[in-house]
Amino acid sequence: MTTMIDINDVWKIYDVGGEKIEALRSVNLQIENGSFISIVGHSGSGKTTLLSILGGLTKPSRGSVKIDGTDIWNLNDRQLSAMRNRKIGFIFQFSSLIPTLRAIDNVALPVIYANGGGKTDRKATYEYAAELLSTLGLGHKLQSFPSELSGGQQRRVSIARAFINRPAIIVADEPTGDLDAQSESEVMEFFSRINEQDKTTFLLVTHNLALARMTDKVHTMKDGMINQNNGGSPA
Amino acid sequence: MKIYQVALKEIGKRKMRTLYTSFGIAVAVSMLISVMITASSGQKEVFNVIARYGHSLTITPVDKSSSQSLKNFGIGTGSYIPESALPDILNVYQDAIVAGWEKMGALIFQEGTMGVAGAAFPPPTFAPRLYEETTVKGKDVIVGGVVLEKELIARFWWDISDGRFMENDNEVIVGKLFATLTLTKPGDTLDLGNSKMIVTGILRETDSPDDYMVFTSLKACQTIFNKQGKISMINVRAMCPKCPVGEAAVEINKKVLGVRATSQMEIATAQSQIFQKTTALIVSFVVASLIISCIGVFNIIMGAIHGRMREIGLLKALGASKNQLIRFFLYEAVLIGVTGGVIGFVLGGALSHIVGPILFKDIVIQISPRFLVIAVLLGTLASILASIYPAVYASKIRVTEAFKSL
Repeated sequence: MTTMIDINDVWKIYDVGGEKIEALRSVNLQIENGSFISIVGHSGSGKTTLLSILGGLTKPSRGSVKIDGTDIWNLNDRQLSAMRNRKIGFIFQFSSLIPTLRAIDNVALPVIYANGGGKTDRKATYEYAAELLSTLGLGHKLQSFPSELSGGQQRRVSIARAFINRPAIIVADEPTGDLDAQSESEVMEFFSRINEQDKTTFLLVTHNLALARMTDKVHTMKDGMINQNNGGSPA
Repeated sequence: MKIYQVALKEIGKRKMRTLYTSFGIAVAVSMLISVMITASSGQKEVFNVIARYGHSLTITPVDKSSSQSLKNFGIGTGSYIPESALPDILNVYQDAIVAGWEKMGALIFQEGTMGVAGAAFPPPTFAPRLYEETTVKGKDVIVGGVVLEKELIARFWWDISDGRFMENDNEVIVGKLFATLTLTKPGDTLDLGNSKMIVTGILRETDSPDDYMVFTSLKACQTIFNKQGKISMINVRAMCPKCPVGEAAVEINKKVLGVRATSQMEIATAQSQIFQKTTALIVSFVVASLIISCIGVFNIIMGAIHGRMREIGLLKALGASKNQLIRFFLYEAVLIGVTGGVIGFVLGGALSHIVGPILFKDIVIQISPRFLVIAVLLGTLASILASIYPAVYASKIRVTEAFKSL
């Protein structure tokens, strides 16, 4: 198997009122293509910072992050945007939909940016968006605005959006936070199916140990450092 | 779907904010457009008058035995020009104008008419006047003898506010100020010398010495004051916009003894320049208000950006590049600008219909489609200028800052 994500000696130090806060301390992590892993840890342990850095959203103070062999922090803005758009699907901790767009338009949004707003195969995009929403139980809510959806439905729309560009990596921060037990189970089943079918790499950050145990490998973060543990139970 | 469609949906969903922002642009654009429409229509009116009547000459006798009060009044010298000299003066004038046209390479069409490349003009209007001082209703006043049909051409702004113009030699009209001070009204009788004259009308205010004068026919004035065959001055209307009246004045001064001709062309030119400068001044004020509108739009868009940090961060996280985000906000700016421009054009057109007639009598407001183009371009330009910094600012927002609110 090839390495999809290669995090090498990554540090993130924030300057807060003259005081240096080390959010990440020499983090090393290699994630192979098609892996399904999770990171658990207490609040403030550095999980979200790590996700931001490997997702190309936050620049590390030191170290390198390679995605599919490319050091993402050596890319310019346009290249980094394109990489984020095509390689990574984000599922954020809280609902993150554009309020002025309907559910199906929200799901299709990354395709607009992927194609520079130009040559978009509109029909295929919208068919796939509808298919994703239907799979996640929202086939009847395609034309609804976010304000017309419940928190759990909004979460499922943002999950569908993460998959629209068929990314190589899914980065999810508490992906099932707003969902009931049944919906959570359906979403995890959906993740597993995509992981198996498309060999998509999944990286989940969660407080939910039960959820973490459903992944192939669990990493624990504490005080900005990462520990590795195989076999679905945290170190 | 394309990026501009996302911007359109954004605007569609936030109609009130868009309208509110557009209205800021529309107010300034409407002011500018109304000034432009009014100035353009007003200038046409001024040019029409100049084209119809041309520039003017004043011919007065050379000052020999001057009347200080007439001089103080600025309307004559107290000396006279023999009425019999009029044909000679007219001939000298015509010859000078023809020579002037020939010097400019123009064509002479027929006797009595002159013109350039197909445009013919009527012959000039010579309006003679006789001034005499007298006392009416216990007030010292100047009586002007005029040939009414010529006077109405030479002084085309003359109008009657009450009554009618005189038609017979026993009738007079009086200036507004004189009428007010002496409580004179149409139908009254005034004693001029030994003659009883009927007042037929009150001249509308002209802001000139005419306001404190009494006018009768030239013939009546000559008879009453025993000045047969004499006139005090001649007002000449060229009746063509570019007639070389300055050269005609020089020739009259050279060839006709005892008179002095003064061209009024400079006055008309100066008036035109003042008109243009006033318009420029008003436009500069309006441009200042457009800049203030831009600042308003800038503030609204900056506020909107701060309110949409989550969305901006999200769009960046989903792969929107800086350029795409800038384009996204500029599309919004264009739509706001176009909306503001169209509203501004409609408001400006309506405003010019109100302001135009106040500023220019008989103005015909002409709203050309080019004003719509100007309004839309101005509105769009102002909106884009006001949005550039906010758009660039939005594109530079760090995703993590936006994420704090996610």
